[in-house]
Amino acid sequence: MSQKRIIGAVEIGTSKVIVLVGELDGRRHLNIIGKGQSTSHGVRKGEIVDLKAAAGCTHAALIAAEKNAGANIEGVYLAASGSHLAGFANRGVTNVSASDGSIRNADVARASADAKSKALPADRVYVHHMRTGSLVDGRRVDNPLAMVGERLEMTYWHVHADERKIQNMIRVVNGFGLDVEDVIVSSIASGSIIASQEEKAAGVLVVDIGSGASDYVLYRNGCIQRSGVIAVGGDHFTNDLSIGLRINASNAENIKHRCGKAIVDKRDKQEQVLMYGDLRIGDRPIPRNAIYRILHARAEELFMILKNKLGSALNAQNLPGGVILTGGGSALHSLGEAARPVLGVEVRLGESPSWVRDIALRRPEYATVFGLLYYGLSAQQSDDDDAQDVAGGGLFQRVAKIFNVG
Amino acid sequence: MSENDHLESPNRPIRGAVEDAVLNIKIIGVGGAGNNAVDRLKMDDLSHVGLAVINTDSKTLNASPIAEKLMIGRTVTRGLSTGGEADIGRQAAESDREAISRLVEGVDLVFILAGLGGGSGSGASPVIADMASDSGALVISFVTLPFTREGQRRHKQAEDALGLLRRSCHAVITLPNDLLLQEIEEKSTLLDAFAIADDWIYRGVRAIVSMLNDHGLINVDFATLTKAFSSRGGKTLFGLAVGTGPDVVGSALRELEVCPLLHLPENKYVRKADSLIVNITGGPDLSMAMVNEVLDAVTEKFSSRENTVIGAVIDGSLHNRLHLCVIGATDVDGKRYRSARYRGYREQGHTAQPAFVESRSQASDRRRDEAGVSGAGTGESPALPADDTEPVRETATVGEPVAQEEFPFSRIDDSRGFFEETESNMYDGVDLDIPTFLRRGIRIHV
Repeated sequence: MSQKRIIGAVEIGTSKVIVLVGELDGRRHLNIIGKGQSTSHGVRKGEIVDLKAAAGCTHAALIAAEKNAGANIEGVYLAASGSHLAGFANRGVTNVSASDGSIRNADVARASADAKSKALPADRVYVHHMRTGSLVDGRRVDNPLAMVGERLEMTYWHVHADERKIQNMIRVVNGFGLDVEDVIVSSIASGSIIASQEEKAAGVLVVDIGSGASDYVLYRNGCIQRSGVIAVGGDHFTNDLSIGLRINASNAENIKHRCGKAIVDKRDKQEQVLMYGDLRIGDRPIPRNAIYRILHARAEELFMILKNKLGSALNAQNLPGGVILTGGGSALHSLGEAARPVLGVEVRLGESPSWVRDIALRRPEYATVFGLLYYGLSAQQSDDDDAQDVAGGGLFQRVAKIFNVG
Repeated sequence: MSENDHLESPNRPIRGAVEDAVLNIKIIGVGGAGNNAVDRLKMDDLSHVGLAVINTDSKTLNASPIAEKLMIGRTVTRGLSTGGEADIGRQAAESDREAISRLVEGVDLVFILAGLGGGSGSGASPVIADMASDSGALVISFVTLPFTREGQRRHKQAEDALGLLRRSCHAVITLPNDLLLQEIEEKSTLLDAFAIADDWIYRGVRAIVSMLNDHGLINVDFATLTKAFSSRGGKTLFGLAVGTGPDVVGSALRELEVCPLLHLPENKYVRKADSLIVNITGGPDLSMAMVNEVLDAVTEKFSSRENTVIGAVIDGSLHNRLHLCVIGATDVDGKRYRSARYRGYREQGHTAQPAFVESRSQASDRRRDEAGVSGAGTGESPALPADDTEPVRETATVGEPVAQEEFPFSRIDDSRGFFEETESNMYDGVDLDIPTFLRRGIRIHV
């Protein structure tokens, strides 16, 4: 089946809305044919606080993207973030029904349905069911199909969200006359593209530091094991600077980009930088040391929270792939150096895959939208392959198999 | 409205001749921290200021050198402390309403000093503030907030008390203890740290009192002050600075720029005050040109000139020095609080405590009048985009309603990145939106 589809990846972020338009050609090809971007309004800490404002800037980005691509978007994959996202692990158990004890599709489906059947509070909705592994008679197996056993367990990591907040985001896109094909958690989208298959198999943690919030996803055995959100992002660094140095937000943002550093450098303890640095009236010297100390405190705390949230899952043994930082916030100078002593594992900055030709698009803030497009490509494939495996309940039917298997 | 209306309380005539009316000012310290703050206030140079301490703990009270003492809640705590329970502090104050009302009766201006987070300070001061303002006084509170390190419970208690205080005081000035860590040197003692808080309180109180009492270039009378603070429930801006050297004005303004009190996380969002009081205390060489320079700079930053009250006082002992004190009030969220409060009081007054009905409803009517007047004067300003970039601000003050209609996002854009409209971001008992260095007490040299 060879058909062309134009899909859009939309991330309504705290600082900007990014739309990437991709052309899915057949089953294997993805061409990026357009990009649209606008400064975000009405979004704080990854959540929409002003629907009208958010809709305005999202539509502006969509228009720009369609114009840039010269095509109409047919469907949209939407990234979700914010502290309302939560996750938990749950497993489904079933007895193998066949008389010879070999596991069939029906057994897997039954165990999966059992795992997914846990009811959520009224205002919560499942976003993803991530298969984290399967056990046959208590032994871990990669694929239980056709194996012999009595008892099959399917383990899942479930991600759920505030239903209204998700619906708000969907309504913003629907208001433009587009359907949302699926909602994908930001960390899962960026993780899928930033980490390689080998790293996912060995164990890797991807941390996407956005403006309003940081999302993380932990892979092991090729599967997503954990995901989560910490409601601290680049804006918090800026806000800290603004309060600590007593300057306004735009100056703080400027200083963060111009001379920010997440570790305290002993060398230039006495050195000062100018607030504007362009001979403007009202310029004022600011000690570098003050900037570094403020940023370092926030960075250290962010990684401390991450460490507390992940607990024992975060150690060098479990994570040979280390930690990959991505997202716009990861551009802060020396952030990796600040993270390493806290997390105790290797930390590196993520890189977009080499097939991305446009240098501007390789910047870390585009990782999420790339991940969304990649998701769209994989969803198309799994549609053709076996729809049966993804026939779970919930609002978002299409849970891509590719993400579970890696 | 004539100015004397503000001085008149429904149940109390002005004492003495009108020409020679002496303002009755009282500073009341509530709870342990409040008592200590009053004890340490050196008010020799301030005349007509009464000092009083209120506490549940008889031991602390006895140790205080202040003459006017009031022990509350004898029936509740039997002269012991509240054990850090704000509820008990509140009950103690409620149980001694008559004694408290005697203490605040006939006072025009009440300063309440308290440390929030504990029992007496958090529990009793909102009740006392309420009674003082109901008796017709202007109530200004200086409260310290607990260190983040002191834990979630004290923090919560302080937050709750602060909310109550904002509703019953005309101005609440908060001094977070976390900020003290920013101000002290690493080797300084605990006493040094609290001396800074005392100094802030002292300078704030002194600025207001001297503006009213001392003679200077420009005097502010009490009615003007009352009018400036007529609305309650809003947030209060408070900043202090001292200028020295040849360019006293310039250095004072620079210091005001970096005054930590103006940069509290919560005040970040109070960009423009709806009413602003600027007090300048200078030596005999203080000139009108200097006053104008300060006024220009300060009004540009915090308010519009129409809403600014300025006081300039000459202090013979100051040479080449200039003290600046800026106090601003917002009534942005005050309106909501006010209406809720009065509704609540009407009901309460009719059912539970009939004795208070008359004076309360009169008081509330009077205040509503004032609020109406001030609302008419400043009605536009809360709606203006809080913007500090030059061009937009210019058009806003010139007043082109069309221009405002065209930029519905400007307000959001300006404050984007700050977290005022989001839920608080609690993790492990701390609000992550508050800067880490403040919570950890890391000192930043600016």
